[in-house]
Amino acid sequence: MSKSDVVVIGNGFAGLMSALVSADQGKKVTLLSYGAGTFPLNSGVVDVLGYDDAAKLVECPIQAIAGLSEEHPYKKIGATALEDAVDFFKKTVAAEGFPYVGSLKEQQWVITGIGTLKPTCLIPESMQASKCFDANEIVLVGVKGLKDFYVDMLKDNLVKELGNDKKYTVAAIDTYITGRDLTTRDVARWADSEKGYAELVSQLKGYAGEGKVILVPQILGSQGNAVYTKLVKELGCDVVETTGMPPSVNGMRLRDVLLSALKKKGIRVIENAKAEEAITEGNKVTAIMAGGEVRAQKYEADKFILATGGFYSGGITMRDFGEYNEGVFGLPVQGDCVEEKWVNKQLFSDKKQGFAMAGVRVNDSLRGVDESGNVVLENVYVVGRNLSGYDFCFEHSGNGVALASAYKAAKA
Amino acid sequence: MELEERARDSADNCIACTSCIAVCPITKANPEYKGPKLVGPAHSRMHFSDPSDYEDTLMLCSNCKNCDITCPNGVSVATLNMLERAKYFKAHPEKHTQADKMLSHNFQMADILNKIPLGKTFANLGMSIGESLGMMGMMGIASKRTTPRFATTYFRDLFKSIKQPKSDKKVLFYPGCFIDVNQPEVGVAFVEVMNANGYEVLMDNRFVCCGSPLVVAGYMDEAREHADKNVAIISEYAAKGIPVVACCTSCSLMLKNEYTELFAQSEMKEAAKNVYDAFEFLRILEEKGELKQVKFSPDHKFIYHAPCHLRAQGMGLPALDMLQEIGVDIVNADAGCCGMSGSYGFHEKNYETSMKVGSALFDAIKADDYHKVVCDCGTCRMQIEHGTDVKSVHPIQVLAKAYKKA
Repeated sequence: MSKSDVVVIGNGFAGLMSALVSADQGKKVTLLSYGAGTFPLNSGVVDVLGYDDAAKLVECPIQAIAGLSEEHPYKKIGATALEDAVDFFKKTVAAEGFPYVGSLKEQQWVITGIGTLKPTCLIPESMQASKCFDANEIVLVGVKGLKDFYVDMLKDNLVKELGNDKKYTVAAIDTYITGRDLTTRDVARWADSEKGYAELVSQLKGYAGEGKVILVPQILGSQGNAVYTKLVKELGCDVVETTGMPPSVNGMRLRDVLLSALKKKGIRVIENAKAEEAITEGNKVTAIMAGGEVRAQKYEADKFILATGGFYSGGITMRDFGEYNEGVFGLPVQGDCVEEKWVNKQLFSDKKQGFAMAGVRVNDSLRGVDESGNVVLENVYVVGRNLSGYDFCFEHSGNGVALASAYKAAKA
Repeated sequence: MELEERARDSADNCIACTSCIAVCPITKANPEYKGPKLVGPAHSRMHFSDPSDYEDTLMLCSNCKNCDITCPNGVSVATLNMLERAKYFKAHPEKHTQADKMLSHNFQMADILNKIPLGKTFANLGMSIGESLGMMGMMGIASKRTTPRFATTYFRDLFKSIKQPKSDKKVLFYPGCFIDVNQPEVGVAFVEVMNANGYEVLMDNRFVCCGSPLVVAGYMDEAREHADKNVAIISEYAAKGIPVVACCTSCSLMLKNEYTELFAQSEMKEAAKNVYDAFEFLRILEEKGELKQVKFSPDHKFIYHAPCHLRAQGMGLPALDMLQEIGVDIVNADAGCCGMSGSYGFHEKNYETSMKVGSALFDAIKADDYHKVVCDCGTCRMQIEHGTDVKSVHPIQVLAKAYKKA
């Protein structure tokens, strides 16, 4: 197989963005994919920094980054790369017809599937909870047969968040699809179809009106924002989508537009190709062996970007306490993962989790370093959840770190 | 010997992330299907459940493997579905339909017809009459399809008349049923390409159907017999240093991966190392600098469809890469599963789902004026011609033509 300039390992958000930024630099890129990344689980919004170390809500993410610990990936990536990465991302998705709103100066808000508010940074137009803030009436729409979406619970929680001075109306629509319990993705595909869309409009029309916002689960089309744009125009009032349970419609929308951008840039994607082993010469990697249980294929490149994820995705593993492993390159993993500190007693506590902080130790160039700070492999860069020093769930920074590290590594 | 690591145990790696449901083409096309996760992985974990207890949409899985491709945790989702299906039929052998039996045992019919003078001619005539009288539908076979016709001379017989230069470099061809009895011209093109590269092609008529259609129809014990026979032959040639090469990506997936996944035998895993898909083998020759170089730029535009069973092999799209490298104007359709998935789309009850699944691919092919569709899988090619009326070829036929023109 012909040699590439860059091989990206992993096709989650960090992997896809690494590939896109690298190709934008004129590089010949090969992406090794194994599984669908976390997109089906991930709301497809870009959190940058929701809460600081003291679990206090962050008002302005770009400012708050200065106050993070030196071990935090953002400190290594730097504010400039983060700003450029956000610009790059917004341009990329807008060019694919799926624009995101938001900036690093303030938080955006989304409404979760259970009616709580969550701070985030970049979101598609269909998920702007802020549209509900000044509305007189919120119409909460359930879908018959849709599992994991409870309008009454949504309403109770939303009243606590947005206050009692609004009117809350509960409504239900029917897709008339018979068969299994529906997921939001099924309903979104129904809305993609001409017939489904017409039925959706006719059932929602009666609820539309001035000062009202219609709040729906993530059902406004499985691709981009075409259904949302058309629907808002046709109803003449705002419509807002909540986040929801997997499979995440918006996560998959984001994945599809990024894959479409990848295709346009001629990036070669090798599916089902698990990276098994690196071939090295001195402290440089020359090739990756990947794919196939029977025989691995050799993928040569000048530069490698590791985006295989953390414990969830198997990018980092731990056989016993403290015995971490980064499976492809054997890069040094750090984190305070002794048994007593591995996990807090409460999963959703006010402290970061030990296991979440474990990852590859890197320097400011995002290359793995040993305990003395020496670069281990000269041409291997580490991005996304492979990195140590942050608990994305606690601080709401997952896709932000993925995006910014991908950008920096690809530019290096 | 039983392997320690068995695909059937991979269900315990499932974290119920729903990635498989999100990409499953059958889930998308058919609202009855509960989705891969809820059939194989979830159900096979009910170790102590009554064997007659099963998920009632189990039969809707097509074994296309998109779930395996998308699973982040290495769960052999489709194989778990097939094992569950086999368990069900073991408890309910009476539930096998006439169509199950016929569509999974085409190799038997093909062998019988080859022994009767004019047998194939009359069988083809019979199929034409049967199709026009609507008899296929009565047997549970999709009445809107044209059932593939038997070739006048099967590849196994045609092969004997091919004059090949002798060589120390040899490969054993695994033709598979479709190339052997329906499209022998693909086998001929394979021999031409290998000869041009200095290889002599061998055949061994002890080979039997890979068993893929048997697995899908729930005849797992029979599939195991086929696996054992084929694996013994592959191992025999491995000992002689002769690799086995297939031109059908479903056959090569079966021989390379699925035997081991389904039956967990160390002999199967070992034999798999001696099996190659045709373009995988050619790419290895290319990397060693041993592939005959050629330039070929016909005036027509081509479109390539990647069979799911090739994508599942985790080695990229070697045929597409190679045709692009030699100068063929060819684009990747990249439009997902064709919907046929071996014998799946031939069942009357699956026809509608099968065509719905293929619709995105049909649209991609019809979107431009393509001369031909290039695809490594025989049943994908049938589905493509049925859904688009555009002719299709195996990439080895394009390469053979390139060598001839050079």
